[in-house]
Amino acid sequence: MIGFGEYQSHGVIMGVVTDFKAASDAAHSALITAEQSAGVKVDEVYLAQSDCHLEGFYNEASVSVSAADNTVSQMDIDTVCRLAKAKALPEGRMVVHHIRRPFRLDGKMVGRNPEHLNGHRMEVDYWTVHGQEAMIANGIHVIRGYDVWVSDRILSSLASGTMMTTWQDRQHGTLVIDIGAGTTDFVLYRDGTPLKTGVLSVGGAHITNDLTLGLRATEGQAEKLKIRHGRANVVTREKSDKVWLNGDFAIEDRQFPRQMIETITSARVTELFEIVKKKLGETLTPDRCPMGVVLTGGSSKLPGMADTAAKVFELPANLGALPPGVDEKLSDPSHPAVLGLLHFGLQNRVDEPGIRRRKSGGLLRKLFTVGA
Amino acid sequence: MSDSPSSNPSARSWRDIPQEITSRAMSRVGRRRLTVRTMRTIAMVVGGLILAGGGFEIWRTLQDNPQKWTATVSSKPVRHIIVETDGVLNQVWVEETLQLRRDIGLRELELYAQRARLLTHQQIKSAVLKLEFPDTLRVTLAERSPVVRLKAQLDGPDLHVFLVAKDGTVFSGHGYGKRAAAKLPWLAGVRLVRAKVGFSALKGMDQVADLLSTARGNAPELFATWQVVSLERLARDGHILVKSSEVAEIIFGLREDFYSQVARLDLIIDETRRREVAPMRSIDLSVGAAQVPVAFNISSSLPPPAILVFPPCNFPSTARHFHRKF
Repeated sequence: MIGFGEYQSHGVIMGVVTDFKAASDAAHSALITAEQSAGVKVDEVYLAQSDCHLEGFYNEASVSVSAADNTVSQMDIDTVCRLAKAKALPEGRMVVHHIRRPFRLDGKMVGRNPEHLNGHRMEVDYWTVHGQEAMIANGIHVIRGYDVWVSDRILSSLASGTMMTTWQDRQHGTLVIDIGAGTTDFVLYRDGTPLKTGVLSVGGAHITNDLTLGLRATEGQAEKLKIRHGRANVVTREKSDKVWLNGDFAIEDRQFPRQMIETITSARVTELFEIVKKKLGETLTPDRCPMGVVLTGGSSKLPGMADTAAKVFELPANLGALPPGVDEKLSDPSHPAVLGLLHFGLQNRVDEPGIRRRKSGGLLRKLFTVGA
Repeated sequence: MSDSPSSNPSARSWRDIPQEITSRAMSRVGRRRLTVRTMRTIAMVVGGLILAGGGFEIWRTLQDNPQKWTATVSSKPVRHIIVETDGVLNQVWVEETLQLRRDIGLRELELYAQRARLLTHQQIKSAVLKLEFPDTLRVTLAERSPVVRLKAQLDGPDLHVFLVAKDGTVFSGHGYGKRAAAKLPWLAGVRLVRAKVGFSALKGMDQVADLLSTARGNAPELFATWQVVSLERLARDGHILVKSSEVAEIIFGLREDFYSQVARLDLIIDETRRREVAPMRSIDLSVGAAQVPVAFNISSSLPPPAILVFPPCNFPSTARHFHRKF
């Protein structure tokens, strides 16, 4: 990693662009900082998606193996994949991701590539993520305003999940929850691939908002109280236990009941986890998710978060840790999504067996990339 | 992770969203980046076209007339030396100076060395040597033109005649015959200092050249009588002394323009001729327009002049030479 840039987000509410200019200015400032930090020009961007309009559904397809000797061919794979993805979307919606689950041959899981295996019936299912076309286009145009190309859009939860879990975690089953400021992304892994993803339009900003209303404090004061005294579970027993807003004994300094702060913050966090649990429904069971819950994102720094998650999901829960070797400056829980994007960008892979990997490099391509 | 649009005809992918946007929709930084990228693309295309055009021309030359290509790269011995000059030097002198081998090839010539050889002669102000394939060397010279001449010892006891240019450069004066050199007045009252090449440039020659060109242009008959120009009092008094066949010492000053002084001199000489007075010993024109002190040779048998000091006069209307000119 040679450069890094960040800038306070503006003009985006719950992952949706609401003020094009403000969002552009913020995104472009981050890009400029990254370019200056790295000393190179950015030509293409991998864009994280954490939009609240994203939804997903399952679609399954099966084909009979066409060869007389029952050997699966590439044509069979292409056909079953095409059928599994061939589902019309409502007007104004478009596909963001087709996440393929492992192939099954005669009801048995066969992994990534069943070609040359013997069987009669091949099945595959896809988790298709789709979103509002206009909102997706807005996100792309914000980036294009800097004259860089959006090479790929990757779900924020997938980016975080890739960085915060190991291959074994994903194989056995784990739930990754990325709690950001405006949205919460989650992904449930099983058999090494994402089983279900989702985006909730609830995040750390809602906890702040609850404190603002509950304590009759300003937004700035509420944010300060959340960071200093907020918890995801209530540990204070004494109602009379109070905390100072600033602790500097100035005239504006006020006292707030600690228990009330913890009650408000924990209520919102508990509710958040319950919504995630409800969204996952029957797909989340202790036997399907033995590796437990991994929490990440800026708001996961709230103390007691893992305990509350464990209590709600009835699963072991812990705060995610980045793999060893990552720069200390990027070890903050708010950065895994960016690191995950970088990981996807470097891999630049397409999970479809029938799809040729896009070639990178080459003089002609570079020429046309420059000239485009 | 994402699908390609072609694999799923029934559902549109985000990749179907056109990423091309107008420059107006871009931010200022984006527009600047786009401009730089466009300029770079244009430069690459133009460079590519130039390379392609050049390659095509070479290919065409090789296809049509390969001899032409080889004839250009291989040179023949130098057969012609064309000399162009604004002075008096000729081709013979140039050939003798360059001392080229008879069979030397055009590409073998070391142009910088040959040019340096020509410039060792102070008479040459600048020289341009140009190869014209297959066998011609074109030499273009700019020469210094002489203003006065002087005699000096070089190495032995013999005195050599040198010419002096307007910029003070002293040179031998190749190509100037005796008759041409005899038209120039002698220079006196200067001290020659040896330099790395020839002599150091003389100071004050631009003023002498100005005086002489004024006299030659406006009073050629008067100028024809001038024999010696002396600079011995130039640095000290700002005077240029001229000895003519009629007056032993004419003193010109630098404070007034030479045109007025020459006009006044012409008038005085005309007046003294008309009155047939004794020959003049000196005329001091450096005093100014109010008065011109004139000294006569009183030992002469002719009568002394009635007027010794000439009053200010409107010389253009009284002097015939100048009246004709203006």
